[in-house]
Amino acid sequence: MRMDPSYVSNLVGALDQSQANEQQLTAELSSGVAINSLSQNPVAAGENVLLLNQIQQDDSFTQSSSLVTGQLQVADSALGGVVAQLTQAISLATSADNGTMNSSDIKSIGSQISGILDEVESLANTSYQGQYIFAGGQTSTTPFTTSANGSPNVTTYNGDQDVNYLSTPNGQKIQLNVPGSQIFLGTGSNSVFAALNSLVADYSSGTVSTTQAVSDSHALNAALGFVSQQRVTIDNSITQLTAASDAVTSSQTQLTGAQTNLMQADVAQVSTQLSLSETQQTALEDVIAQLDQSSNSLFSKLQ
Amino acid sequence: MGTINSAFSLISGALNADQSALSIVANNVANANTPGYTTEIPNWQENQPVTIGGVSYGAGVTETGPTSLRDRVLEERLDQQQQLASSSGARLTALNSVQALFVPDSGSTSATAGDIGNDITSFFSSFASLEADPTNSSLREEVLSSATTLAGDVSNAAASLNTQRSAVDQQASGVTSQVNALTGAIAQLNQQIQTTTPDGNAGTLEDQRQQDLSQLSQLIGINQVQTENNGLSVTTTSGQLLVSEGSNFQLTSGPIGGVTDFFVGTTNITSQLASGGGQLGGLLTARDQDIPSAVNALDQLAYNVSTQVNTLNNAGTDLNGVTGTAASPLNIFSQSAAVAGSAAAMSVVMTDPSQIAAAAAGQGTGDNSNTTAMANLAKQNIVGGQTPTDFYSSFVSTLGATVTGVEADNTAQNASVTQLQSQNNALSGVNLNDEAAAMSTLQTSYQAASQVFTMLNTIMESALNLGTETTVS
Repeated sequence: MRMDPSYVSNLVGALDQSQANEQQLTAELSSGVAINSLSQNPVAAGENVLLLNQIQQDDSFTQSSSLVTGQLQVADSALGGVVAQLTQAISLATSADNGTMNSSDIKSIGSQISGILDEVESLANTSYQGQYIFAGGQTSTTPFTTSANGSPNVTTYNGDQDVNYLSTPNGQKIQLNVPGSQIFLGTGSNSVFAALNSLVADYSSGTVSTTQAVSDSHALNAALGFVSQQRVTIDNSITQLTAASDAVTSSQTQLTGAQTNLMQADVAQVSTQLSLSETQQTALEDVIAQLDQSSNSLFSKLQ
Repeated sequence: MGTINSAFSLISGALNADQSALSIVANNVANANTPGYTTEIPNWQENQPVTIGGVSYGAGVTETGPTSLRDRVLEERLDQQQQLASSSGARLTALNSVQALFVPDSGSTSATAGDIGNDITSFFSSFASLEADPTNSSLREEVLSSATTLAGDVSNAAASLNTQRSAVDQQASGVTSQVNALTGAIAQLNQQIQTTTPDGNAGTLEDQRQQDLSQLSQLIGINQVQTENNGLSVTTTSGQLLVSEGSNFQLTSGPIGGVTDFFVGTTNITSQLASGGGQLGGLLTARDQDIPSAVNALDQLAYNVSTQVNTLNNAGTDLNGVTGTAASPLNIFSQSAAVAGSAAAMSVVMTDPSQIAAAAAGQGTGDNSNTTAMANLAKQNIVGGQTPTDFYSSFVSTLGATVTGVEADNTAQNASVTQLQSQNNALSGVNLNDEAAAMSTLQTSYQAASQVFTMLNTIMESALNLGTETTVS
């Protein structure tokens, strides 16, 4: 037999390699993760970064959306309160305008409407977590104040026209607020505060100028319709948010599935490879053992 | 001639030749496991016949010395392949340390520490969360803390890469003394070979020289040139002379620009060595190419993300109604002046979360449009024409592909080295069967010669005693 001085070192090298292979496969089996270094599958490693990015974006949107839903619901219920108050004010004004009431009744209606005005103003100044929700971008400033010295009084808006949007992971923008002036100080006969202030002024003296009062009542009616319209914007946002949130959750489930598929070890495949590798190692050990008995050359036959 | 005496001299010559051949066989068997040993075969030569009176008499045999069974072309081919394999091996080791810094995240939704890809996403997601409630202080804290994690992981990775680079550099400069020891030894062997066996088989000396060449091939890329009188010159693959027959030229190293450069005399051969092969070639490729390209990718990421985020934050209004100015900027990240080095220097300089400019300039503090703009940076091509996440993703893919490529090269080259080694061993290795057969033949031949000697002795006795068998026995 020909002696190869590097036989043994070559075989030991092969044995080391097969052992390293076994270790790698065992690690895959125990961790369940198929890709432990970039070079094992560079494409999958890159894809993994992108998938995790999307999953995390979805995750963060789900959290934001629950936070925002709270705020939108507070806005919605505040506007619901405003609608109820205005409906009551309209029925009070209608009863005052039918000409059957005496002066003190009318005065009392006037002060009831004035109470409603205060209530509506406080609803318009609703805050959520310390931030005024109908103030546009000026969330730290009380949006509505009423000057007490006019006839009628004037309610002014201290906020701005800023509208915030929440972006969904796929780029849709959901409106988060409606500036207070749009809801409560609509143009023409759509201004809630102007109508309420006029009615308070109409009834405060106890005598009613029917024409004026009827026209102011109509204005309040129109303003009520306008508030309801603006409330629809908020309700739409809530609906959009729920839909977006559902879509994001389902996309997150799919992405997580894809990501798991990409990175997870295929147990059946890894086990097969492990068994192959073990066979190879046994074979190598046998060969090394055989080479150890290197007396099987012609020399063993010479006497 | 043709006397009994000449027969004696013939047969004792045969016995000497057999002995000499036997000692060659013994040497072969003894060195069967010596690395670098080349099997030797005895050379037989028929002595010049003598013609007396028109009759030609044979003059016996001489063993003229051993010849080593070597194939210089194959040996040189093996050395060259060894240079390639060592180069890719050294480069692969360095690259494996590099890729260990960027372990792929296994998946769960919780971010793994040190994963820059996750850090990028968390950072921009924190702006997306802030969109929902721009004045919320805990969401603002979240932005700063995710920024700190991102900056920390990027600068750690860059620092580790720089450390790896200097470790590789140190390793490379350590190769110099080994190279000089080997070239010195080769020069000395050249002298001995040229003096003792200028035109014959240099045997063991040449084995040693070959062994040194093979070791030198593991260190650097070389070319071998056979010269007269069995001499040898060695140059680097690019032609810089290292050994010229009996003299060698020292490889020296010295720091230039923070890394070690290599010289022969005053010639800087660093870049030639990098592409030449051998361990040094691999180390230099990793030092000057692979690690810097990873650092550069991180630098680009750090610089562009920092710059874009800082610019936008300075363009908006913070929670205190302040807008950043050149004199007192509202920077979230430390602002590097240049791309190079910005990854290692990346850090968060903002300490007060209220300084995050969530609102657009001139808007109330409840506005979120600047936050939206900053969150949208995640979807804009702000780093090398890609989004930050895409950039990182292609960076890890490229790095992984480089490692895989070098790994494949290395496996193929090692296989080829093994193959050439087997091929070389098939020629130059000691074959014990052959040796046993040769010994058996020589033994028989020696026995036959001694038998002839004994018979000649008897004949000589008869001659001396003139037929009477008593005087000499």
